[in-house]
Amino acid sequence: MKKIKHIVTALLGVFAISSCDTSELELTNPNTLSPDTFFKTEAQVESSVNAAYANLQTRGLYARNLAFAMDLMGQDAAGNPQLEGNKKPFQDFSFNAGNDIIQYYWESCFLGISRANFVLENEAKINALPNSILSQEKKNKFLGEAHFLRAYYYFLLVNRFGNVPIYKAGTIIGAARSPKAEVYNLIRADFEFASQNLLSKSAEVVGRATKEAAYAYLGKVLLYEKKYDLALNALNNVTGFSLEDKGSFYNNFMEETEHGKESIFEVEFDEKNGTGNKWDDPGNSGGTGFAESTLRGQEYGNLSWYNVYPPDNLLNSYEAGDLRFGDTFYVPGSKYLNGTKTMIASNFNTSAGLRKAGWKKYQNYYKKEDEAVQSSINFKVMRYADVILMKAECENQRDGGSQAAAIAYITLIRDRAGLTTSIVPTKEAVFAAIVHERKVEFAGEQSRFDDIMRWGNASVELAGTGFQAGKNELWPIPNRETSSNPNIKPSDNNPGY
Amino acid sequence: MKLVLKFAIIALLTISSQNVIAQTKTIQGTVTDPSGFPLPGASVNVEGTQNSASTDFDGKYSLKGVNASDKITYSYVGLNSQTIVVGGRSVIDITLVQTTQNLNEVIVGYGTQKRTKVTGAISTVGSKDIAAVPITNAESALQGRAAGVTVVNGAPGSNPTVTIRGLATMGNSAPLYVIDGVLTSNLSGLSPNDIESMSVLKDASTTALYGSKAFNGVIMVTTKKGKKGPGQLNFSTYIGSQTITKRYDVLNTQQYLQYAKDLGSDLTARAAEFGNVNTNWQDEIFQTGLMQNYNLSFSNGTETSTGRYSAEYLKQEGAVINTGFERYSFRANNTQDIGRLRVGSNVGISFSTINPERNSGGRTLLEHAIKMAPYLPVYNGTNLGGYQGPSAIDGNDAENPVRVANLGYQKINNLSIIGNIYAELDIFKGLKFRSQVSLDYYTGKDHTFIPSYSDGSYHKQAFSTTNETNTQGQTIVFDNSLTYKTTIAAKHNIEVLGVITKIDGKSQNLIAGSRYNISDEIDQLRYNEGNLSSANYVEKNIGYIARINYDYDDKYILAVSGRRDASSRFGANNRWGNFYSIAAGWNIAKEGFMANSVFSTLKLRASTGTTGNDRIDNYQYSATLLADYNYPIGGGNAPGVSLGVASNPDLKWESKNDRNIGLDFGLFEDKFTGSLEYFNSKSSDILFAVPLSASVGSAGGGTQIQNIADVKVSGYEITLGYNDRKGDFTWSATANLGTSKNEVTSLAPGVTSVLGGPTARAGLENFSRLEVGQPLFYFYGYQTNGIYQNQAEVDAVFGPGQTIIKPGDIRIIDRDGNKIINSSDKTNIGNPYPDFTYGLNITAAYKKFDFNCFITGVQGNDIYNANTFDLKGMNRLFNASTEVLDRAVVVNGVVTNPSATLPRAQGADINWSSANQRYIEDGSYTRLKNITLGYTLSGETFDSHFSNIRFYISGQNLITITKYSGLDPEIARADTNANSAGIDLGRYPQPKSVIFGLDVKF
Repeated sequence: MKKIKHIVTALLGVFAISSCDTSELELTNPNTLSPDTFFKTEAQVESSVNAAYANLQTRGLYARNLAFAMDLMGQDAAGNPQLEGNKKPFQDFSFNAGNDIIQYYWESCFLGISRANFVLENEAKINALPNSILSQEKKNKFLGEAHFLRAYYYFLLVNRFGNVPIYKAGTIIGAARSPKAEVYNLIRADFEFASQNLLSKSAEVVGRATKEAAYAYLGKVLLYEKKYDLALNALNNVTGFSLEDKGSFYNNFMEETEHGKESIFEVEFDEKNGTGNKWDDPGNSGGTGFAESTLRGQEYGNLSWYNVYPPDNLLNSYEAGDLRFGDTFYVPGSKYLNGTKTMIASNFNTSAGLRKAGWKKYQNYYKKEDEAVQSSINFKVMRYADVILMKAECENQRDGGSQAAAIAYITLIRDRAGLTTSIVPTKEAVFAAIVHERKVEFAGEQSRFDDIMRWGNASVELAGTGFQAGKNELWPIPNRETSSNPNIKPSDNNPGY
Repeated sequence: MKLVLKFAIIALLTISSQNVIAQTKTIQGTVTDPSGFPLPGASVNVEGTQNSASTDFDGKYSLKGVNASDKITYSYVGLNSQTIVVGGRSVIDITLVQTTQNLNEVIVGYGTQKRTKVTGAISTVGSKDIAAVPITNAESALQGRAAGVTVVNGAPGSNPTVTIRGLATMGNSAPLYVIDGVLTSNLSGLSPNDIESMSVLKDASTTALYGSKAFNGVIMVTTKKGKKGPGQLNFSTYIGSQTITKRYDVLNTQQYLQYAKDLGSDLTARAAEFGNVNTNWQDEIFQTGLMQNYNLSFSNGTETSTGRYSAEYLKQEGAVINTGFERYSFRANNTQDIGRLRVGSNVGISFSTINPERNSGGRTLLEHAIKMAPYLPVYNGTNLGGYQGPSAIDGNDAENPVRVANLGYQKINNLSIIGNIYAELDIFKGLKFRSQVSLDYYTGKDHTFIPSYSDGSYHKQAFSTTNETNTQGQTIVFDNSLTYKTTIAAKHNIEVLGVITKIDGKSQNLIAGSRYNISDEIDQLRYNEGNLSSANYVEKNIGYIARINYDYDDKYILAVSGRRDASSRFGANNRWGNFYSIAAGWNIAKEGFMANSVFSTLKLRASTGTTGNDRIDNYQYSATLLADYNYPIGGGNAPGVSLGVASNPDLKWESKNDRNIGLDFGLFEDKFTGSLEYFNSKSSDILFAVPLSASVGSAGGGTQIQNIADVKVSGYEITLGYNDRKGDFTWSATANLGTSKNEVTSLAPGVTSVLGGPTARAGLENFSRLEVGQPLFYFYGYQTNGIYQNQAEVDAVFGPGQTIIKPGDIRIIDRDGNKIINSSDKTNIGNPYPDFTYGLNITAAYKKFDFNCFITGVQGNDIYNANTFDLKGMNRLFNASTEVLDRAVVVNGVVTNPSATLPRAQGADINWSSANQRYIEDGSYTRLKNITLGYTLSGETFDSHFSNIRFYISGQNLITITKYSGLDPEIARADTNANSAGIDLGRYPQPKSVIFGLDVKF
């Protein structure tokens, strides 16, 4: 009995000293914010919107891959020998569903959509904030920015992939592809909401989406849908802008002249905010960290990596005397570094021989001797010149449109380029003039391939490139999606992939 | 703690002392090892009593109160115990013989167990084996010696990857380490010289006591303790060198220029600029590394106390330039007996500095060395920093690997303290209370400094950069246990254990980086342009443990244990997990009917049980926001906040159900020994960061921790040993073989497959896939069948009009025959897991010579060799394997060299970017891991200044037989995650080493 007493005493002792309060296991993460307590201040609402912008800067989009893929497919750029293997297939349309550039483009867009949806899902919370904390105008504006960005990312997607899954709220289960028409409906509705609720450029901080940007993109979407009258209406709402002056075309492509009078929407870069580590994470599609610079200058520049060069076909498209040529390309004899240095032939040397030219648009050579990894030059993704040429196209294509009005628009652009204009006022001739003008005006601005797809003239414009009609109009849905989305199987992929 | 003391005092006061057993006679004698050397500290025990003694420095003992009918057991760790019936003798001299298994005492969770009573699967390696080979980390002692255990080493100072019985999980597959009862995650601070024995607990009946921590098995480490007797001083040292002799065969300058010309690039003029030098970049990054080790230890003991103190210095230069490891380790183990109370502590402290293998641009040194143009010189005095790098013409991806390795420095300084303080109280005969506080504390500082430099063209920075990551962590475990041990009616042996354990873990980090434009002279952080972040993590566990061991006369054994665990890593609904085990054993050899058989040991045992796994990041169940988005607005930075990594409130324990059947046998007085094991386990609800559909746009790489898969694992292990003695010649051989086969049996609803694995090279697809009915992360990709020789062959597959695939490209098999090559054509192209692993260990001694030879190998596994991408991918112009000279040459649409095995250069994308069979190789190998020859001089030679002195020479990794084309088939995995199994990313290969050593016993 004594022994048992001891055992009991001992056991009680053990339990007394070490029995634990299980509430100690209830831990909260001290390193992060919680969604339950968010959307309480203007700064919080604004930050949720800022996060949706950040995806524009990813390597999947404007920091790196988008420029390569679009310029190569549009034949604005051709690869030098050191062009990486994942980019080469865009020049000859040999990419497949395993291509990582396609994957990161897809991921970046959908991450941006998810960020925008995080704002829109919490619309009720935002609207419930008292006006003393956040005015109704600002509530509308912030929601408008989220709608704008969602539409922007979906427009990037629908052009590359056609039918894509539609998400209007956060989820972890992948959705099936929705018909292209439904995607367009969503894009239009979003841009319309944005055009009604965003601030004008004059009232907004530079860098944010504006009412005019929303109208310009609404017009562009309608033009892509060939709804020319509606497109023209939207584009006519883009007011308060003008072209950079004749001789100042290059203002569109320098850092110091960003957000100028021709600029409607830009994808922002600013290396002074931090340059991050751009190389170590191959995905880097999340838009996180201080990675506020673009690699384009480094990779395109003929004094730097010179991965791509402007091919002869593009160089030869410029008419004699076109002022844009000298602002778009460097050739032997071009001045750089504030006019203090001159390019010589060997500056265009590659291991495959001498090239005729290198890119000047978006390069830092105007002020720097060479490009480091970092470039802060924004992508002017919507210039007023685009609005003018889109209007010309609407006038030319719409029922009852005026070829004369279209020619007048084109003349604005050509005047600035120092060219005279004489276009026969027929629909065909005006169309041909628009095709030419867009090619030289927006060379190296990721516009050409979309234009060709919209016009349906790939058999002419992309002849001999490897472009296969019925297949290469769209990219394949990346393997990463078909292997992880229960509602999109490899067999659901676009034709030919 | 106050309560503990109080309790201890009360217990002491209230318990009456036991009667002393009547004395009869005194037995004396000497205990020696097979070579005749006395064994100090051997234990001599009258069976079934507490009457025991230890041998003194000369191996002599004296034991009072022994009856003629008593049996005396002589034991010494690392040697076979012997039991002798006293009879009429009063002097008994004993020689204890070494075997590599069947150690008499086996360390198990919360105690020790006699080998004869073990019912689970345990492999043990003793100090003799550990000392047989000079090793720098303790884990290496297990390699090839413990069946079913694989150990892969990396760069100096890095923790080896240890896997027990193959993979049964998808996250961290490292086992739990328990050093003298202290739970920890690796043995990096521990000197192999301080280890008495290591036990590998492989099945649930032995691991279930560690419940939620024991999923991947447990490695129990006992450090050497002081022994009763006069003080003993030991000194040992070794010095040696390490080299990597294998190279990839790459193009020399002349070959490279021709190859470039064939690819449309004329680099003749460029090469001439540098005087047509021919740099062997691999030779530039490998070196002969020196290693040296000094260890001093002292141990002594009195009737009431023991102590052992040791200090060690290890310095290891890597076989790759500017890599190395330096460690100071100290250990003090003490016990004090105060009547029925024993207090003690075991504490190890180590300081180490690692110079890791550096990389740049996301590429390893080896990748740079392969790709660098051979016509570039290493150095160029006119460049800032003094190195020559490539320009855009030479190919910017490659960087001068010598500059990457040597410019500036990266140092990782670690401090680790692992130790415990405990008190044990014998409350009365058989009932013991033990209270232990243990601490696992570490700090780490990873500091990198790179001064400004310019390699001549692109690779340069105009400022110096400093990056530092500071980490600090501590885990405090508070264990309280009661053990009751008794024998009823002389035959029923019962042992009952109860434990309450509480684990509090905390860790934090501070990460900072800065750049400095003004000077390279300052290598410290400053606020200029940089980044700064810090984080705190807390983890808590509570566990209740109970175990009952019962045996009837050592013949029939039953062991039952249970553990109830709670972890803060799971939400409130799924926080608790219950784990149990049941095991039974039958010592057939002890049955009467076996009395005259040749079997000295014959035991059948079986066990079943469960363990758990909570090794996921903290806080995964709670939804969080990520505040790391940034975008420039209005000239400044606009910070962004959005949803963080997808949380999962339904997370629950990953659990594993183990079954094990084993047979141990010994023939002819254990001259021939062996054991057979069969195991079969089923892991359920395996936790894994599942890639979500990319289109849902989830942060942090788009994964969510889920309980995603069930996996079954099964295998056999065979261990055979033989030892013999003929006059002065003794020898023993041990062979082991283990198999482990895993298969995914189910995936979470809605998940059909998961693609994963590290991104080996930019643009190269992932190879690893998870799918029901296949091994964990098997290699999934396209099958290939030679090379298209002409257009007709291409058209036969794709039909006319297709322009992407051309003659000279790899013929990817269109498995579904739809004339399109897409992911539907992929299939199983390789299994990263071996059919079996094996080891053969031979030791022999003749007079004063000793010899050890140790062979290890794996058979039947596939390796995904990512270096193939650089060596034979021919995607862009960089230096490459000499095999590219024999690539397919296409003239007028026809391959002119049909025997070519490599496709045309710069051919179709799919040749190099797709997961296909050209990257998969047979990874089988056999390696002479160690061969050692030693000679021992006994003390007399030196007028007894020391008792003996042993010299040895040892060679490691001297011979490797393999078909694998990479530098080392014993590849280091990228990390401990399952989805990097079998992937060779070009990391630090195992060096060959030659070592001279000296052990002195004073």
